[in-house]
Formats: sequence, C-alpha cells, structure tokens
Amino acid sequence: MSAGSRARFDRRITDAGVAVVSVVLIVWSIVPLYNMVRVSLQEKEDVLSSSVFPTTLTLNAFRTALHESYWLLANFWHQMGTSFYIGITVAFLTLAIGTLTSFTIGRMRIRQGWMLTNAALLTYMIPMSFLAIPFYSIMGKYGLTDNPLAVIAVEVTFATPYAIFIFKQYGASIPHELDEAARIDGASPPQIFLRIYLPLMAPALVAIGTYALLLSWNEYLYAFLLLSSDANITVPVGLGKFLNSDEAPWNYLMAAAIIYALPPMAIYYTVRRKMSSGLTMGGVKG
Amino acid sequence: MTQISRRGIIAGSAALAAGSGLRARHARAADPVTVWWTQGFYEAENQAVIDAMKAWEKTSGTKVNLTIMNGSDLVSKMIAAMQVGDVPDLVHSVTGDRFLVPRAAWDDKLVDVSDVIDTQRHEFHQTALDNARFYNLSLKKYSYYAVPVKCSTLMEEAWRPMIEDAGFSDSDIPKTQDAYYDFFQVVQEKLRGKGKRVYGLGYSMATKEADSGNLFHAFLVAHGGAGIVLPNGKLNVDDPTVKQAATTALERLTTPYKKGYVPPGAINWGDVDNNNAFFARQIVMTPNATISIAVAQMEKPDQYYKQIITQGMPNGNDGKPVPSILGVSPCFIPKGAKNIDGAKALLTSFIQPDNLNKYLKETRARYLPVMMSNIKNDPYWQDPADPHRSVAVEAGLIRPSMAWWMTYNPAYSAVLSEQIWSQAEANVTQKNMTAEQAMEEAVGRIKAIFERFQIA
Repeated sequence: MSAGSRARFDRRITDAGVAVVSVVLIVWSIVPLYNMVRVSLQEKEDVLSSSVFPTTLTLNAFRTALHESYWLLANFWHQMGTSFYIGITVAFLTLAIGTLTSFTIGRMRIRQGWMLTNAALLTYMIPMSFLAIPFYSIMGKYGLTDNPLAVIAVEVTFATPYAIFIFKQYGASIPHELDEAARIDGASPPQIFLRIYLPLMAPALVAIGTYALLLSWNEYLYAFLLLSSDANITVPVGLGKFLNSDEAPWNYLMAAAIIYALPPMAIYYTVRRKMSSGLTMGGVKG
Repeated sequence: MTQISRRGIIAGSAALAAGSGLRARHARAADPVTVWWTQGFYEAENQAVIDAMKAWEKTSGTKVNLTIMNGSDLVSKMIAAMQVGDVPDLVHSVTGDRFLVPRAAWDDKLVDVSDVIDTQRHEFHQTALDNARFYNLSLKKYSYYAVPVKCSTLMEEAWRPMIEDAGFSDSDIPKTQDAYYDFFQVVQEKLRGKGKRVYGLGYSMATKEADSGNLFHAFLVAHGGAGIVLPNGKLNVDDPTVKQAATTALERLTTPYKKGYVPPGAINWGDVDNNNAFFARQIVMTPNATISIAVAQMEKPDQYYKQIITQGMPNGNDGKPVPSILGVSPCFIPKGAKNIDGAKALLTSFIQPDNLNKYLKETRARYLPVMMSNIKNDPYWQDPADPHRSVAVEAGLIRPSMAWWMTYNPAYSAVLSEQIWSQAEANVTQKNMTAEQAMEEAVGRIKAIFERFQIA
C-alpha cells in the first residue's frame, strides 16, 4: 500500500470512528428528550408500556397542564409566575451588583480592589449544597423562610462572583481613554457608567443575565428548602410532588416539564450569539 | 468624585437592604398554628386534611398555615429546620415514626405530648400507642413524643386475572410463609410459558425509602427474629435465633431475585415504584405497606372489587399467625415551635375519635385507624362488601401485632435510615456475598450504631 493510500485509509478509519462516536453521543443525548416527548404525548395508562413508539398520540397531557386540571398541577401557572419573578429578579440584581462592582474595581481603581474579585471567586471553593443549612438558618432568623426573597438572595449570592469576574475581564477590553474623554467633557461617574460602560458591556450583560436567569430557573435545592407553601413554590418544586403518588401521571409531569423548558430555550436561542461572545471574552482576557 | 460615588453605592446598598424588608421575626402568643403535613398519594388524602384544618379554624378561631409536601422532602426539611431551630408548630410525617421522631426524642428536640395522648389514652390501639413512646436521653426516661393518627402494616396485593390465567384460583394461594411466595414463582413460570413477560414477585429491594425495610423486617419476624432488640433497649443480635432468622430472610428475598422472579429494577424501586409496576401488570403480586394500590383504583370498580386481591401476611411456616409490625404515622411538636399551645389544642381536637374517623374515611382509608372504637362503632371499616379494607383491619388491628424496635431504642431508627438490611440484600444480589456473610456484615454495622445509643 502506498503512503497516499495508507493515509486515505487511516483518514477513512478515523472518519468512521468519529461518525460512530457521534451517532452514539447523539442517540445518548436525544433518547431522554425523546422519551420525555413520547411520554407527554401518551395517555396516563400507556406511559409505562415498554414500546419505543407510542401507538396512540394525544395532546391531553398538555391540555391538562395548560388548564391546571390535574390536582398536582392546580397551581402550575402561579408557580410559573413565581419562577419568572425569581429568575428575572435574580438576573437583574446579579447584573446590577456585578456591573457596579466591576465598574468600581476596574474603572475607579479603588485600592485593593483585586482582593474583592479574588475573594468573590473563592466562594466557589464551597459547593452550593454545603451552604444549605447555614442559609436556611440565616433566612429563618430574618423571617424569610417560605418567602421568594430568600431564594433570590441565595441565587444572587451564588451568581454574583462569576458575574463580577466576567465583567471585570470584559471591562478590561474597554479603553480607559473613553472614560477620560468623557470626564473632560464633564461626565460624572454615574454618567460614564450608564452611557459608556454599560452599552459597551452589552454582550457580557446578555451572557451573565441569561446565566443568572437559568441558574435560578433550574434551581431545586434552595427553592425546595426555603419555600414551602403552594403559593410560593417554584415549578421544579411543584413538579417534585409528582414523585410521591401511587398513580403514574408521568405524562402530565413531562408535559409540564416541556412547557417549563420553553421560556429558557427561547431566551437562549434569542441571545446565544451575544452570550457566547460575552462568555468567551472573559476567558481570553486577564 | 470617586469617594462620593463609593458612598453613593454603599448608601444604595443599604437602601436596597432596608427596602427588601429584612427584619428579625418575633413570635407572638396569638400566632397562627403552622402545620407541615405529608402529601397524600392521591387528591382525597390532601383534601381530607385541608377540610379538617378548616373545620378546626372555624371552631377555634385560630388560623392554620398548612403546608403539604411530599414525604421525603418533609423529612429533609424537618431535619434542617430542627438543626437551625426554625420549626413549624405541628408536623405530620408518614414515616416520622421511623426516620424522625425516635432520634429527635432522644436528642430532646420534641415536646412531650403525653397530655395530648391522655385525652384519648383508653381509645388507642395498644400497639399504636407503643409506637409513640420513645426514650429521651436528657431526661433519661421514656415518654410520648408523638401522637398516632393512623397506622399501617405490610399487606399483599395480587392480580386475580393473572393468577387465573396461570390456571389457579384464590383458594390455591398457600397460607404459610415460604409456600406463599413460592406459589407466585410457579405463577410466573406458567405465565412465561404462555409468552407473557411478567414477574411473579414484586419485592422492593432498594436501599432507599421505606418499602424494602418493611419487607425485610416482615420476613425477619416471620422467620423468628422479632427479638432483635429487647424491650430494655439492648441489642440482641447475637442471639442465634435472630441471626438465623436474618440469614433466612436475606436468602428468601434475594434468591428469587437472582433467579429472575423479581424485576431487575426492583433494586432501585422507590416506595411508589412497586405500585407502578403492579399497575403496569409487570408483576403478579407485591407486598405493600398500605392498601393504597387498591384504593388508588377505587374509581375502577372492576379492578377494585374483582381484579385486585388484598391479603394479610401469611402465617409462619409452622402455620401459626406471625405478629404484624404495625407502623404509625405520627403527629409531633418540635421544640422551638412558636405556638405549642395552639398545636396541642389542634392535635387534641384532631384525635377525638369522631374527627379522626371522619378524616381517615375521607382519605379513602388508605391507612388504618389507631382507635378500636372506630372499628367497632363504624361498619365502614369491616364492611364485608369491601374486599380490601376489612382485610387490612384484620391484618393490622385484630391479629397479633408488634411495635417497631425504635420504641425500645432509637438506634434502630438509624439502622433503618442507613438501610443496613437493604444494603445486605444488595451485597448478596450485587456483590455475590452469601446471605450469612451479608448478615454478619450488617450485624457488625448495627452493633456500631447501637454503641452510640446506650440506654441507662
């Protein structure tokens, strides 16, 4: 076999190997999602059947979830509202605290500002779950158990260090000369922050805002621990109640889960370009 | 300019904190009663407690803040709540008698509710009452730290059409321990012969939740191991009778699994999964702690009255009745509750026989009453037309029964939490240990646990 043929053969083997691995990975990734959709399109009695393809398809589970006509979904839209409230508030507060902090450290050059950035990142040394009991205790002392504000406070605490880090790195790419020019024109620091710093930080803002929103949207542990009543729980905690029944309403559970997954998917695909540029910027600077 | 801005930021943060309403909470005597209750398996169970709380609100004029959450979530949240001291006033946990109350009582974290028990002491079934008495290490005495509101024992559920399809009838089902379970292996063989992919036995064998523990301990008692802990709280696991019973129980549970008479997934089953496998007709029979399997199908009369069979646990191999282990689902009041008086008043009202009976009937009687007067005075419980309820009453309340060993020593609660015996089953099925080796390993671990719980 000539060297050229040998190289072509090797390339084909490599391509075939890549294709096989790709197919396995695709199937591995898609099967759970397929099952989720399959179960959501079946009747309650059929969901435990072992058939790969459903014999009959129905949108009944989606109708049930949309109309809250099953007892475990009685507060579905209210819980969705709570999830939105928590998610949007966490995103807003994370952006507010993160940008103000990065602006103060990076642009106003406060002494020992680097310590704040590093200290914030140090908080990631402790896993979220380890802090559950201390947070529960703190929220109890402030009378915030069973109050969405408690979950917001926790989520902001966990999202902010990463936000500060990314904003700090991203902000370093914005020339300081712009600030100086604005100052010469008489701009105050708040004006520089609002009119120069924030507009130029747009990709990072989108990325971190989406990150904070998704972090709280998918959060279960703290929402479960800190919220109790049906009036205050989020959708993930509400769906957790399905795992305690003698019946098997998995079709309702899956339909509700799919509906719950739609808003973050829509947000992600709307902003994904800006999100990836915002996140990668933090990785190459600094 | 920089300094002004920094001050502004600090002032802004302070304003934000003030505006968010952060302030310390102060309890007042007139606070409402905060109640945490285990979520039911179906809507009627939740509605029954909602109705009961509303009724008490009307008569007492005290508001009840009721939160219903699923069983395992409630246990986790209660552990966290007791750790930080921010607790509800009254808790009902279906598995509290096993996983929460014994060790919380030992640690002096529960309010003594003997005064509540005393209001109805003569009404309670003795075994139910025994299940509410626990040891307090600080006070060095046993007392009542829980109030039983409902109880249950292990039952057997089976599909009659499957048994008939295999060529048998109800009367062919043996009445003694080993023969009983062997029968369902034969049923499986017959059904497999007809091309049906079903399993004869729906044993729960997971190292989680309560069902697998219920099953092992029923087998332990059936094979003579009831004396594993003595009434004085001492561990008696070195008694050869107990060791032999534990080994036999492990063998009798794991051998059918290894031979393919139990679904392979049973080693991961949560408490509802055997029910779901039953409904999917993947298994012919399953042991279950309540009659919830049948009750969940009450709207389907054909299934409820004709197809699902409920039986009590079989007799011992010697033909004599085996005591059933009666578990109670208790209410309790954690120390640190802000309205203990309100909680006690609510509980005292709730356990009045008529109130408790009404509540249990509204839950569709998944659980059994803890008061014999309910059974005697209300024909509902022994209605011969009902093929499940009267069987459960007979098995749990009329035949001989015994309390769980946590009432003697809370160490056994840790044994259950750590799933020592289910882990021993896993050692046999997954790690190819012999039943005897797995038993010895479990015994070693149990002894270590009991070392931490020495009763004076």
